[in-house]
Amino acid sequence: MPSFRAYLSDTTPPDHSRDLPDFFDLESRSTFRVRLTETIEKMMFVSGETSEAAPETLSMIEGIVQQQVIEMLTRSTALAARRGVRSISTDDLIFLIRHDKAKVSRLRTFLSWKDVRKNVKDSEDKAGDGGADFNADDPLPGGGAAIGPAVDTRTSKNKRAKVGLPWDVASFYSEQVPEREDEEDEDEEEMNHATLQRLKNADERTKHMTPDEYLHWSECRQASFTFRKGKRFREWAGFGTVTDSKPNDDIVDILGFLTFEIVQTLTEEALRVKAAEDLYRKETGGEVESARRKRKREPGLFDPPEEARTPVGPKHIQEAFRRLQVPDAKSKYMSHIAGGFRKAPLKLI
Amino acid sequence: MSNDGLLPNGLVNHTADGDAVGEEDPGHAILRERWLQSESSIAALFGSGGDELLGQNQGTRDAQRSQEDAMALDFPAPVIPPKKPTRTIDEDDYGDDDDEDEDDAITVSPLKARSTALIVTGALAPASQVSSIPVKPPIDRRSTASSSDQSKTLEDVRKKLEEDKKAAEDAARRSCYTMFYTLESDKAAMDEQKRLDELDRQVETEVSGQASGNANNGPSGAAQQSTLSSADLGASNLTFKHLIARIDAKREKVKATDSQLRTLLSEVRKGRSKWASEEKIGQEELYESADKVLMELKAIPEHAAPFLQRVNKRDAPDYHVVIKHPMDIGTMMKKLKALTYRSKKEFVDDLNLIWSNCLKYNADPNHPVRKKALYMRKETEKLVPLIPDIVVRDRAEVEAEERRLQNGDLDGVEDSDDEEPIMASRGRKAPSKGKKGNSTARKAPAAGSEGTPGPETKPNFQGLRAGASGLRNDFLRADSDAPLEGSQNGLSTPPPGTLTPLGINGNYGSGAPGSQADVTEIDPSGNTVNGHGLGSTEDPDQDDLEYKTWKQVTKKDRALVAAERHRLLGGDRLNPEVPALLRTKAGMRRWIRQQKQAVDEGVTGEIKTSVNGKDGEQAAAVETLAEGIEEEEERSLPDYYDPMSAIPKLDERLKWVEDAEGQVIAQSEECLRMVPKGQFTSPESHLTKKIDANMHQMQDTRKICAKIGIVKQMQIQAQTYQNQFQKYDPEPFAEADVGPVVVSDDGPVMFHWLCRAALQRSVGKIFYHAGFEDFQPSALDVATDVASDFFTKLVRTLGIYREAPKADAVYDQVTAEGEHPVLKQRFTTEETVLHCLHENGMDLEVLESYVKDDVERVGTKLGVVHERMKAHLADLLRPALGDNAGADGVGAFNDGSDQFVGGDFAEDIDEDFFGFKELGLAAEFGLESLSVPLHLLQNRMHSVYQAQHTSAITAAGNIIDPPPAYELVTPRSIESEVSLVKNFFLTKLRANNDEPLIEDEDLPLKQRFPKPRLPPTGKISSPRKRPIREQQQLAKKKRRLEGGKEDAANGMSGSGNASGVGKGLGKPIGKLRLDMPRGGKEQGPEPEKDGGDGDVGTMSPESITAG
Repeated sequence: MPSFRAYLSDTTPPDHSRDLPDFFDLESRSTFRVRLTETIEKMMFVSGETSEAAPETLSMIEGIVQQQVIEMLTRSTALAARRGVRSISTDDLIFLIRHDKAKVSRLRTFLSWKDVRKNVKDSEDKAGDGGADFNADDPLPGGGAAIGPAVDTRTSKNKRAKVGLPWDVASFYSEQVPEREDEEDEDEEEMNHATLQRLKNADERTKHMTPDEYLHWSECRQASFTFRKGKRFREWAGFGTVTDSKPNDDIVDILGFLTFEIVQTLTEEALRVKAAEDLYRKETGGEVESARRKRKREPGLFDPPEEARTPVGPKHIQEAFRRLQVPDAKSKYMSHIAGGFRKAPLKLI
Repeated sequence: MSNDGLLPNGLVNHTADGDAVGEEDPGHAILRERWLQSESSIAALFGSGGDELLGQNQGTRDAQRSQEDAMALDFPAPVIPPKKPTRTIDEDDYGDDDDEDEDDAITVSPLKARSTALIVTGALAPASQVSSIPVKPPIDRRSTASSSDQSKTLEDVRKKLEEDKKAAEDAARRSCYTMFYTLESDKAAMDEQKRLDELDRQVETEVSGQASGNANNGPSGAAQQSTLSSADLGASNLTFKHLIARIDAKREKVKATDSQLRTLLSEVRKGRSKWASEEKIGQEELYESADKVLMELKAIPEHAAPFLQRVNKRDAPDYHVVIKHPMDIGTMMKKLKALTYRSKKEFVDDLNLIWSNCLKYNADPNHPVRKKALYMRKETEKLVPLIPDIVVRDRAEVEAEERRLQNGDLDGVEDSDDEEPIMASRGRKAPSKGKKGNSTARKAPAAGSEGTPGPETKPNFQGLRAGASGLRNDFLRADSDAPLEGSQNGLSTPPPGTLTPLGINGNYGSGAPGSQADVTEIDPSGNTVNGHGLGSTEDPDQDDLEYKTWKQVTKKDRALVAAERHRLLGGDRLNPEVPALLRTKAGMRRWIRQQKQAVDEGVTGEIKTSVNGKDGEQAAAVETLAEGIEEEEERSLPDYYDPMSAIPKLDERLKWVEDAEGQVIAQSEECLRMVPKGQFTSPESHLTKKIDANMHQMQDTRKICAKIGIVKQMQIQAQTYQNQFQKYDPEPFAEADVGPVVVSDDGPVMFHWLCRAALQRSVGKIFYHAGFEDFQPSALDVATDVASDFFTKLVRTLGIYREAPKADAVYDQVTAEGEHPVLKQRFTTEETVLHCLHENGMDLEVLESYVKDDVERVGTKLGVVHERMKAHLADLLRPALGDNAGADGVGAFNDGSDQFVGGDFAEDIDEDFFGFKELGLAAEFGLESLSVPLHLLQNRMHSVYQAQHTSAITAAGNIIDPPPAYELVTPRSIESEVSLVKNFFLTKLRANNDEPLIEDEDLPLKQRFPKPRLPPTGKISSPRKRPIREQQQLAKKKRRLEGGKEDAANGMSGSGNASGVGKGLGKPIGKLRLDMPRGGKEQGPEPEKDGGDGDVGTMSPESITAG
């Protein structure tokens, strides 16, 4: 049962339909900070960190996430500029993470569901607004952007449309062609594999939860930097300084998605680091532990339970970040060029 | 001078060759002298050589004889039958016994005894020498014991030095082949050499101003060495040419090795010292050694430089205040040339004056010059003992003294009187062998005068001078002195006054300049080597002894080579007027010899001389003597200094060879080969096949895309033009190989641009495979550069790993009995490749994922997309898509595509394509379908399509053959027409310039008139006055209305009809006016079509056909 719920919430994005317009977004800077830390903590919790993290850890993670976001925006702005466009598009962002196929496909799923949601909402809105003279079965003239998808959405309007990427095979050709139902894309399979893996992890984590805990967990799962209140986030991410200040709605959503991914990856890696450290401690006798115990002599009444896990500390985060920044072998192939030390660019997590 | 002692000797050996060079007979006195010299050298050789130089002498004697042969040819003389006995005795000479040496002596004597009685002395001389030589402590009767002791110790010292030098030199020579030296010190060497040369020249010019007997002596030491070849262009050179030619011609008869012959010849050419003087006794010895010392001091690199020239006033203004008697090496040389030194002491004092001056002036103990001066002084101290302590005296004085002595004890020296000259002449050669007997003999002239040990030391010094070629040098001395016998005998005046060899030598010096080349000329390197080697071996504060030695040994040669090159290439450009550096045969031979020697030494460690001898024998078949002689033999330089000589011969097959008729024989057949095909195309492999298939698939899909685009365009466009749609018909990809190429070598074809083009093509293929239909050339260039850079690195890394030092020896347990350590490559091939990939940021997974994802999976995706495209096209052309539709849907048009024209597909997509619903026509007429009834359409789609896709139509075949076309109206065919229309046609024809009239339907689309059609109202309007386009539109409306009318029930009223028209016209016209400009304007494919807006005009058959 949990896994099914997990599936639903994993692939469906938060409902942005009730996003506030900017002038209603009155979140102050300080409340944003508070929300940010809380969100990070929730994300960490979802990613497997059960105990409460220290504020230093949280601020370190925040710094890393911010750095990553700014880097992404900078690069995608450069990409857009290379295309001759000032404002970045979703493709620019996706292009940055194109090598992580699982992530890309999750992102595409995310976007397509978002599209579906929007369409449904639109049609609902229209139905509500326009009254009876509009036949719901008849799509609006000019509703479909391209003839292919338009045809498709006409026949099965609530089926999610695939988000095409410029480097897909389909974009090789001058004509856009609708997909056929019976074709199962291999990408999707791959994505499914990755998604299943994630779901399995989530399942593992939630296996022993009580319903209340699970409720909390799934609430935490909805945590998003961008959800509903995007203004401060945009400020925080550097819109207006790094890139255009009026980003596409999709871009903010993608960033929200990616920031969640970043925190998750970082947390998971940090947990791994910590597990390795703990194992090492145990094997080598745990000097720190024994030293402390010796000092205490006798277990007191208010001693913390022995099995309680210590939270992930800043050093673990640091180490995790270092591990994630180890450059690929691929980046080495041009590095024979003489000229001394070259700074490796920041790697996107 | 008499020939009679000599001629028989020559004739003995040569009876038949007398006619050879007759024109030389009037010959010059010089030639004769030369001949004499060589002849006497034979005598000396036979007389003395056998005694001392048993092993070495053997071959030399052979050579000697062969030389005699040649000599004799140069001087054709009355033919006298050979003397058999001598000949036989001569032939018996090839032994090592002392007996034979005695025989030699005897052999010589009978020959000479034939004409002059005094020849007996000639015979006696060697004999007596033989007797004296075995006596190891050759204490002369007249010499004091002390003198001999002194000479003995001196000799030991000298010998030791000599050996040291030799060893150093040998080591340096050998190191030539085993070590690699950089050329950086060459410039310094060159400059130094230049300075030395200049100094010499300067001294020379200054001295030549003074009247001197030595003025004609030619350039001094260093200069002589550099201009050796030009200095030899005298008469003697000519003689030598003939001599050598003869020897070459009779080479097989001469029983001597080349090296021996060469040695001999070169010795024969040498003359006497330039210092020789008839007037002064002891001058030659003193000056030669002094000169030698000066040369050696001068040649000490890096130290001698400050002392070469007088101290300049500009450099040291107060010098003359501090130093009262300035002195320098240059001045000393001048003084030497001016013969101002009277004794050793004066010379040494001057030398020491230089150093002390320096030390005095530069009082600061840290002054760098001081160090040099101290060093030089040390060297001087080493060298000074080698100068004989002679006081030069006038001949008259000496003679007087001698005469006095002779008279004093005539009896005691009775037998030695006759020997004396000979002994004196021979004396020089002995010391190198350490035979004191020579000094005894040599002393004869001087001994009488005073008991100084000077004369004894001199020959020793001679030996020292000879350096590496010490033994040869002895011969030289012997040879050059030998004529004395002849002259003495000829004169038949044995007074001791004529005994000194100096007079004779002096004559030689003036008469045959070429022969003056002394030891240094023949073996210049050896000469300098000695000095340097001496200096360096005992120089403790030098870092790398070997290198230093090498530098010194080769300094002169390096300087010469560098100067040569500098002349040609100085100033960083090629100087056109300077003669080019050429490859010489001698140089080549030397190079080959060095190679062999290096190999031999590497293998056996044999000493150099023996190798040399062997090489000479091996090479004897090919070489000619003249070439061996024509240049200095030894150049102690590694071959990379003389790259001209290291160029091997041209390959036989590259030579220009002509046959008997003067036709060039083409030798290209054997060496030329064709470049195999396929070197510049991608090799057949699974991957390339896959990629090619993908690309082909893309092309096919693009074809379909183009069709879809056309269809869509036709949907939205009112008019289409015949050439509006470019038919997409790409060429299949084919990799062109290079044409037939002929190369003359093995290995891959290294042609930069070609290889780059091939790489560029591959990159282009990858581009295309990645989905780019076309790309900018600059992008292609950049990608190609990056790729080639990457591959270069990859290959370089591959090389590094392949050439990694071999791993440690691995003993194979199975075959261990041999105990041969098996050296293993450190990396296996797989390891090498993997390392290489890793180093360059690749690994197998990346490659595999490329093949899997970017090739194979893309291939399947392409297939899917292709299918989808086809399906989409089929959707668009649904009605026509039947069994007869071809692979790409072309068959859909087979039967004229009425379905398409009629808009049948609109039904499938549930659309009111023509707006029938909107117009209410459907309801009105109860239309079952929303398509246009076929029979209402003017089926011109067919013709349009036929014009566009001729091949497709013909291939598909038509069901009904089109009726035969009407005959064109021409001026001729008009005759058969009805007369009524004749005139009409005639006017038309005339307007058309009598060209055949064209049917309206065949006119180009633009010129066509819309067909006049009767509107439903029945009124004939005047269509011509309206613009064509509007007419067409009107016609469309009308036709549609007609269609509607026909489909409708018969009982339609006229008014209903009219209203239908009005209704029908109202809205569409407005639409059309809006749409038409767009349709005409937009050329590019417009995929979007607002299906819902009922754009009637776009799809009307008129628009398609009339477009």
